[in-house]
Amino acid sequence: MNESTLFLITFILYIISAFFYFSYLFSKKDKAARTGLTFALAGLALHTIALIVRTVESGHAPFTNMYESLSFLAWSSILAYVIIAIKYKFQKAGPYFLLIVIALMALASSPLMPDEATPLVPALQSYWLWLHVSVTLLGEAFFAVAFVTSIMYLIADAKEKKGTQKKPGTSSEKLDSISYRCVAIGFPLFTLGGLVFGMVWAYKAWGSWWSWDPKETWSLITWFVFALYLHTRLVMGWKGRRSAYIAIIGFLAALFTYFGVNYLLAGLHSYA
Amino acid sequence: MKSIIRSLSSVKLAIILIIIIISASIIGTLIPQGRSAAEYAAHYGGLSDLMMRLELTRLYHSWWFMGLLALFAFNITVCTLTRLSPKFKKAFRPGLRFEKKSLLTLKSNDRIKKNWDLDRSGKELQKLLKSRRFRVKESRQEGAAHFLAQKKRAGLFGSDIVHLGLLIILIGGIVSGMGGFKDSLTISEGQTLSVPDADFQIRLNKFYTEYYESGAVKDWKSDLTVIDESGPVLSKTIEVNYPLSYKGFVFYQSSYGWNWDNPSLEIWIKKREDPSFLKKTELRLGGAAKLEEENIELAALHFVPDFIINENNEIVTRSLEPNNPAVFIEGTRDGEKIFSGWIFANFPDFARIHSDVETDLIFELKNFRGSPYSGIQVAKDPGVNFIWAGCIFLMIGLSVAFYWPPREMKFILEESQGKTEITAGGTATKFKDTFQSEFEHIISSLRRAK
Repeated sequence: MNESTLFLITFILYIISAFFYFSYLFSKKDKAARTGLTFALAGLALHTIALIVRTVESGHAPFTNMYESLSFLAWSSILAYVIIAIKYKFQKAGPYFLLIVIALMALASSPLMPDEATPLVPALQSYWLWLHVSVTLLGEAFFAVAFVTSIMYLIADAKEKKGTQKKPGTSSEKLDSISYRCVAIGFPLFTLGGLVFGMVWAYKAWGSWWSWDPKETWSLITWFVFALYLHTRLVMGWKGRRSAYIAIIGFLAALFTYFGVNYLLAGLHSYA
Repeated sequence: MKSIIRSLSSVKLAIILIIIIISASIIGTLIPQGRSAAEYAAHYGGLSDLMMRLELTRLYHSWWFMGLLALFAFNITVCTLTRLSPKFKKAFRPGLRFEKKSLLTLKSNDRIKKNWDLDRSGKELQKLLKSRRFRVKESRQEGAAHFLAQKKRAGLFGSDIVHLGLLIILIGGIVSGMGGFKDSLTISEGQTLSVPDADFQIRLNKFYTEYYESGAVKDWKSDLTVIDESGPVLSKTIEVNYPLSYKGFVFYQSSYGWNWDNPSLEIWIKKREDPSFLKKTELRLGGAAKLEEENIELAALHFVPDFIINENNEIVTRSLEPNNPAVFIEGTRDGEKIFSGWIFANFPDFARIHSDVETDLIFELKNFRGSPYSGIQVAKDPGVNFIWAGCIFLMIGLSVAFYWPPREMKFILEESQGKTEITAGGTATKFKDTFQSEFEHIISSLRRAK
């Protein structure tokens, strides 16, 4: 089976997973959530195989153009989601998160994204490509989960304040804590992959570990926003709404670093 | 004075500084950096003057951005140091006197009564806590005992290690900025160049471009040899991503091009009337070749790799790429010019030869070879080891801060009539729910113990 068939089946599995998660959202039956998770896991497994096939076929890391990079981001997002869902027995974010993953998969398969594997330009021929990109995107995937749970927090909190929720406090507190845990995983990963590995590679390739290139600057901005999240929370005791807002801004900054910089700002990172 | 120190050491200042640094960095990505004054004037009009004066056009190197970073570094230092000594005290010389009331206000707290005397209760509690890897300190009074259980104390210092790492990185930045330099060298095959500010030279033995089957460039490679007074010391083929390091200098493959000062040219001579006639001649620019039968001396006078006639009607080269190579040739007989003109490698029929004497010779530029040169960037960065050390501290600190959470529980044991009441309390700054479950686990094991 070739990579595009595997990609398509993966895509379908994610859609089925989302379908079960939405039925869980309305029926509140745990069985639906379990089925949703099972399909997400099946999708993840197949997606992993698709990425391996892609790597073997192209002979290089599966994230060197926009199609590959989006597919890999979708893969990291699902991975981050199932880790959080299983470790913290938390499936409520499933329906919304799966929608994001489906959007990434749809974007990856859109005709605007050239998907043919092209040989690597000299600048990308380095094992640091693997380390830098994969760890960074995995970190960003956890920020994405924090983004979803933070928005859910804001909605749950507003409902509780209005008194429409039956059990006040319980659901929003859990969401707040899950957001923090996602940041606690994502932040070290992002620091390692985005900043540390990025600096090492920049030094190897360009002879300077930092050049204030827009992508570098924006990843530093993202890093600072999450540093702000951690300091306000751990030192000043902020939580809840204010923490949720910072996590949302942080993810949007990460998203801009990933997408926006390529299309809106010119710089050294003009590959993908 | 005191209030200044207090405000410099406050986390609030840190947060304000982070917000200002974020905003400044965003501005720096919106305004193109490091362009010429004319470009800014064309793009921003009257504003450009103000922008240049505020150094928004070289923002990340401006005095005010440096000042911000310096203030930030100072704030990190003061924040970390002022919190360090209470943390040390908490970790290594903790107080063993605590009030029952204060224990009961802690986030996790509980009370148990056991049918044990004080001694027995103390021993059981010790055993239980040690089995869960706590270090236990105790102090006893008449009829009562205070226990303090701690573990993963290093976790208290995770953030300090992160801050230390950041400071080392900032110091590395200063060292790089002051002691580092960067230069571009253009070097042709066989050429030896002195490295700026160094006591050695480098020689380019060979430069080559590798291609994929599709024709796309796969890599540029330069065979380099380092030469000092004693002769060649080190040879390495560098390519993009794989530089050569010697005595703190690092050589990177950064660009390539062609040197057309002295190309070698292959010119074919044919006759219009005689298709069987073919004479091949090879000559260098400025050199000449003799055509015996015709008694003609052929010379190549000019060469351009990318022929174009500009708006002033001058012949120039558009680029250094061999896109439209052309050579200006001249033929003389007995010292007298008989023809001259341009011939083109890509357009053999388009020759523009002006002849003064009737001739049926045709000239074609069949082959041309310039010498390829390699663009090598040489950099010296004495700060780079600080950066790697800082990064290591940063990552160790983050791992400790997030995944080695310090745990502390306090117990007060009071005996009355052969029974002991145990009051327990504890709090955690991170991962409160895992702490709560550990706390509950200890309390319930204690409760179950017979």
